[in-house]
Amino acid sequence: MPAAMFAIDLQHLSKSYGPVQAVQDVSLRVPPGELFGLIGPDGAGKTTLFRIMATLLLPDAGTAAVAGHDTRGGMRAIREVVGYMPGRFSLYPDLTVAENLDFFAALFRTTVRANYELIRDIYEPLAPFRDRRAGALSGGMKQKLALCCALIHKPEVLLLDEPTTGVDAVSRQEFWQVLGQLKARGITIMVSTPYMDEAARCERVALLQEGQVLRVDTPAALQAAYPVPLYAVRATGSLYPLLQSLRAYPATRTVYAFGEEAHLSLLPAATAAATTGTAEADLLGYLARAGHAQVQLRGLTPTIEDTFMELLGARPAATAPTAR
Amino acid sequence: MRIVWFLLEKEFHQLRRNRTLLLLLLAPVVQLLVLSNAANYEIRNLNLVVVDQDHSPAARRLVDKFQYTPYFRLVAVRPSVRAAEQDLLRDRADVVLVVPRHFERALVRERRADVQLLVNALNSVKAGLAGSYAASIVQAYQGEARPATVAAVLAGRGGLEVVPAYWYNPRLNYKTFMVPGLIFQIMTLIVMFLATLNIVREKEIGTIEQLNVTPIRKWQFMLGKLLPFWLAGFYQLSVGLLVARLVFQVPLVGSLPLLYAATALYLTVPLGIGLLISASSRTQQQALFVAFFFLIIFVLLSGLFTPIEYMPAWAQALDRLNPLAYIIRIARMVLLKGSTARDIAGPLGALLLLALTVNALAVWRYRKTSG
Repeated sequence: MPAAMFAIDLQHLSKSYGPVQAVQDVSLRVPPGELFGLIGPDGAGKTTLFRIMATLLLPDAGTAAVAGHDTRGGMRAIREVVGYMPGRFSLYPDLTVAENLDFFAALFRTTVRANYELIRDIYEPLAPFRDRRAGALSGGMKQKLALCCALIHKPEVLLLDEPTTGVDAVSRQEFWQVLGQLKARGITIMVSTPYMDEAARCERVALLQEGQVLRVDTPAALQAAYPVPLYAVRATGSLYPLLQSLRAYPATRTVYAFGEEAHLSLLPAATAAATTGTAEADLLGYLARAGHAQVQLRGLTPTIEDTFMELLGARPAATAPTAR
Repeated sequence: MRIVWFLLEKEFHQLRRNRTLLLLLLAPVVQLLVLSNAANYEIRNLNLVVVDQDHSPAARRLVDKFQYTPYFRLVAVRPSVRAAEQDLLRDRADVVLVVPRHFERALVRERRADVQLLVNALNSVKAGLAGSYAASIVQAYQGEARPATVAAVLAGRGGLEVVPAYWYNPRLNYKTFMVPGLIFQIMTLIVMFLATLNIVREKEIGTIEQLNVTPIRKWQFMLGKLLPFWLAGFYQLSVGLLVARLVFQVPLVGSLPLLYAATALYLTVPLGIGLLISASSRTQQQALFVAFFFLIIFVLLSGLFTPIEYMPAWAQALDRLNPLAYIIRIARMVLLKGSTARDIAGPLGALLLLALTVNALAVWRYRKTSG
């Protein structure tokens, strides 16, 4: 078998559950050693893609190859070299930390000791709890243990389905550091997340919506792809009336809530005028007339989430959320 | 095989942690003790109501005969049949004995006399037994009443008496007959339920996903699931036989190695069915309902409570698929009669066929990848 050009090679994958089209003509290629992110809201088809790559699910159409093996013919070979961490905690809650780890090592005909080097950094904080039942661990610890179990056989490809969902901010931070270390060892990592800030830590990301890939690019390129200037607007009082006013403003192109602020872009005519500063003055005047006090307006560097929202809005079929 | 060993180790770790193990160890003993004493075909203390219309010494002696047995307890003497019928209606009486007028005269003159028995047949088993107990008492009474009065006549008559000899259970001890069957009934219940819940539990907690992406083979997985309960089955048989011997004094006539060998084969059938149900279900609840459906049929058609020969033809045909019926037959033959491997070759062959079919289906039905 020739060395695989791509660690993950998905071609025109489609999968439906009854009437629901979970994945629709998805093609992705991930070279070996890349840290690749699948970004998209719940129901975008991320888990379905993972299940196909992990040989748990056969696609209706298209092909998927992982580590050079097709998921139809080469299931057995894939299972030897893939580490999969499902979105839901899937270890034995009634076995201890050590028992879980030993068990999964044994299933891959290896031992914890043989591969301890790979998991040491992740396992060390867990070590004091080695005799505690997995079900009694905190969320962050569970994720660490699950990652250890997925790594215990030195996989070539690591598939992580929303590993940081429901995990506290500090643990998330640590988790991404660990992924960086694993990547440095040459492991290909496919990770999904609903958090846009985590997307920036991937080398490349695919934006998914309703089973389709909207765009694949580096986080920097995605940020740069935002086509027009972007503003953050805030005022005293609740955000909702401000959003309503901005939506009614004739020059508004897009506006949506982003944390406690509104992200706003203006129509091209207004944008052109913005260079002279009149557009901003006009907007501030409008908001003041609409009764909003202490309005602050500042220019923004778009984030991936802004690009994502932009792409959603550009799609005619998508139910583009202008406010969340 | 090493992988299977690790699977086993894991299953035992889990068994040790939850209370399943307690159930596995204690349930068979408790159930055998309770069921053997409860599923009693000997009926004692039947409530007897007497209507004596003859008021003769002979009638009184007959009533005394009833009272001296452990089977009947005289609860009332009524002046009329109508009053006694009220007792039947209100469930105060199981049997009403009506001694008609001129009972003694008929007994002396015609050497035979009739009495009337009214039996409450709400429970047909009880009614049948009450009827036959009463009939045998009356018969015995007539037998001894005769010599005193008409001995000469009787001597000239060519009497033919049938004396049954009950082979393999000479005293018709119902426990001798029930306990071997109960051992297997209880074993089947426990083992099949546990096997049923096992895979589907891994589905519910999601661990099956994690297992399915490992290189573990289907047969290894199934074997790892089957073996712990297979071993549990042997434990249950051993404890069951001990209780049978020590508590119920059931004679263990036949070859125990043969019975264990038959059990080894038999256990793979309910286990295979359990795994098949488990592999086809999404939730434990679903799996339990299906398992329950099969178990009820297995138990009721097993021949444990009703002889298979009494069942309608369609039920007997259905019983060809009932593993419990085969093993209960084997257990009774081997334990009570000392049957050899050759004697039980028929049911053994049937079990082998069932085992192969069910387990092939289970392995086929369990998918590591879904479509």
